[in-house]
Amino acid sequence: MPARLLVYLAYFLASSTHYQHTKQFFYDLLENPNSRMKAYFDVFMICLVMASVFLLIYEVDTPLTRMDMLFEQAIVAIFILEYLLRAWLYNDCHKVIIGYHEHTQYLKIPFRSTKALGMVVSKKIDYLFTPLAIIDLLAILPSYRPLRILRVFLIFRLFKLLRYFDSIKLFTEVLASKRFELFTLLIFLSFVVMIGSTAIYLFEKPSGNPQVKELFDAAYFTIVTVSTVGYGDITPHSTGGRLVAMSLILSGLGVFSFLTSILVSGFNEKMHVMRENRTYSELKRHAHYVIICGFGRVGEHIATQLAKDRLHFVIIDTDEKNVQEAKQRGYLAIQADASKNDVLRNAGINNGATAVFCTTGNDVVNVYITLSSRYLNPDIRIISRANQEHNVNKLYQAGANDVIQPFAIAAMVAAEYIGQPVAFEAIQGILRQENQSGMEAVAVLPGSALVDKSTGELDFAQRKLILIGVISSHLAHQRHKNRYRVNQQHFYFNPAPHFVLQAGDLLVLLGRNVSIGHFRSQFPGKKHRP
Amino acid sequence: MKRIAIFGYSIMSVAVMTRLRDDKYQLLFVGQDEQEAMLMADQGFTSQAIDFRNDDELKAIGIGRDIDVIFCFFPADSDNVFLTISARALDASLTIIAVVDDPESADKLLAAGADKIIDPHEICGRKAHEMLARADISTILDNTVFGQHDLNMAQIEIPPGSFLQNQAVSGLKLNANHNLILLGVVDKELGNGLHLAVGEQEHWLAEGDVLVVLGTAAGIRAFKEEVARVSGG
Repeated sequence: MPARLLVYLAYFLASSTHYQHTKQFFYDLLENPNSRMKAYFDVFMICLVMASVFLLIYEVDTPLTRMDMLFEQAIVAIFILEYLLRAWLYNDCHKVIIGYHEHTQYLKIPFRSTKALGMVVSKKIDYLFTPLAIIDLLAILPSYRPLRILRVFLIFRLFKLLRYFDSIKLFTEVLASKRFELFTLLIFLSFVVMIGSTAIYLFEKPSGNPQVKELFDAAYFTIVTVSTVGYGDITPHSTGGRLVAMSLILSGLGVFSFLTSILVSGFNEKMHVMRENRTYSELKRHAHYVIICGFGRVGEHIATQLAKDRLHFVIIDTDEKNVQEAKQRGYLAIQADASKNDVLRNAGINNGATAVFCTTGNDVVNVYITLSSRYLNPDIRIISRANQEHNVNKLYQAGANDVIQPFAIAAMVAAEYIGQPVAFEAIQGILRQENQSGMEAVAVLPGSALVDKSTGELDFAQRKLILIGVISSHLAHQRHKNRYRVNQQHFYFNPAPHFVLQAGDLLVLLGRNVSIGHFRSQFPGKKHRP
Repeated sequence: MKRIAIFGYSIMSVAVMTRLRDDKYQLLFVGQDEQEAMLMADQGFTSQAIDFRNDDELKAIGIGRDIDVIFCFFPADSDNVFLTISARALDASLTIIAVVDDPESADKLLAAGADKIIDPHEICGRKAHEMLARADISTILDNTVFGQHDLNMAQIEIPPGSFLQNQAVSGLKLNANHNLILLGVVDKELGNGLHLAVGEQEHWLAEGDVLVVLGTAAGIRAFKEEVARVSGG
């Protein structure tokens, strides 16, 4: 019966959305590095830890009031709650039970609740012995009155800060990554201390040095000397002792130089990761942004335009020089290979990124990045650069929405300039939105006052706007003249005054930005983004 | 018919010549050596190899005489600067269009006398941004005005004595009367900037003003004829 109840409970929790949501909430609060809630919670906990340590210092020469005690108890209660919640979040007990249940079903062996509970407890014990869980426990235990002797261990609460400061975490990571070198150094240091202590004891004790009465004094002298502190409370009197002291000083210098170099190299190795993480953290603050793969001349111009529009973007380039250049301009940049799935994932191709520009000077790389981006996000907009005309179709096949050929476009510009330079420059000026005017597409959204209105009724001239045309896929317009097929839609150039607008149409308007903005505000609707 | 000389073999020169081949221009490719000239000749273009550093050879191909436009498409900016200076010295009215590799060379080319600088990377960057920021507009213009559809842009200069002189821009109603959209007017006395047809101030047309319009080839032709006829009569 308890076995059935246990299995029922496990399956109940697995299917309970309320339980999942609750657990997700606490995961976001305590563990999820991408959660804003966690950031706030960390700050709150840092304040609590600092407050509790200040209280400990205050308590040294001032008795605590009832309010202070209550405050201390509230802090401990929060620490206990946090400790239990982290233990709960560490793993899913119901999954352990379900796994064990399925295992017994498959092998047709009896389900034993004691074994299932043992597996659950074993997993939780694993958590209890993790370094951070031990620190959490040490921060709580000394508050227990029968264990007042442990009160001094309250200082361990400061170690709790490890959880909340990324830079402290980084320091521990550096120590962990260099554990082999540090361990080697520790062994060497232990040998030096052991040999030094013995030698000092053997030289000083027989020479009648009153400061070295036992081996502990020799060990104390050795450590103080090796660490290059040299208090001077114990000094060698014999020649042999002085020679040993000299050797210890030189060894100490060597040891600390070695230790410094280990830590510096550890930080150097982590520096790249640190910088990347900072870029990713910055990116996470933006809801929408663009990924630019390749910061050559084309990428640079795209970035300039996006920066002018105050749009957020991140640059990915393998070339260190290009990345430095981008950073000097104040752009977010990552030195990485954008064709790697992990790089694109970390850059947020499935989170905040709305578009990807593949603008390297190498068509092979552009095809590969396009393919990777499309594979990772089937809906994202991809604009790719093709340097050779025969690669245009390959980029479309790889999943690009638009392909740009720099030399073909430049040739078009050059050729158009020959015929009608004034008209061409005028159109280019409009496209560049010079003189605070430009051409914009304004959407006719369902429910908007524009729906069922004729273009004649809207009197664009009065609004200081020019209606160039209407983009629509609506069948009702098909009887109108000046119709040009563009992709899956039609462009109705210079629509007649009796052209009646439908929901989903796009008005192509020319005018000053202020006029277009005012028109939008009069007929509320969002700027169209395909 | 305009005579155009394209200097230097590159993707750009091939693309420009291919694009202009359909129009009624007389094209001449000028290579630095016989091999370049042969490559272009194989694609059906009139080609010649000369030493562009020699003014006599430039004169021989018609610069200063009957060449109206030159494209400087050499890979090295220094070559393009040299060619621009040489050509400008030979013909002050020549239209010179030069490609630039290093953006810093743009000012040097303009100082040397180039009329238009083409920076393929900048154009590509702008185009890519346009595709993202104003995708609809970009697509429409690419498919119509710069594409295969019969929708064109045109510049129409107001000739002396034209019926358009002293008319208010707002009174033209080209959209209703000629199926043309008047984008704006370039008043050369005030510079080369486009004054939108819906500006704050009314613009009164004068001789030499340039109307920038969008419309079908037939519409543009008819309007041009009307402007020419009335001014003639």
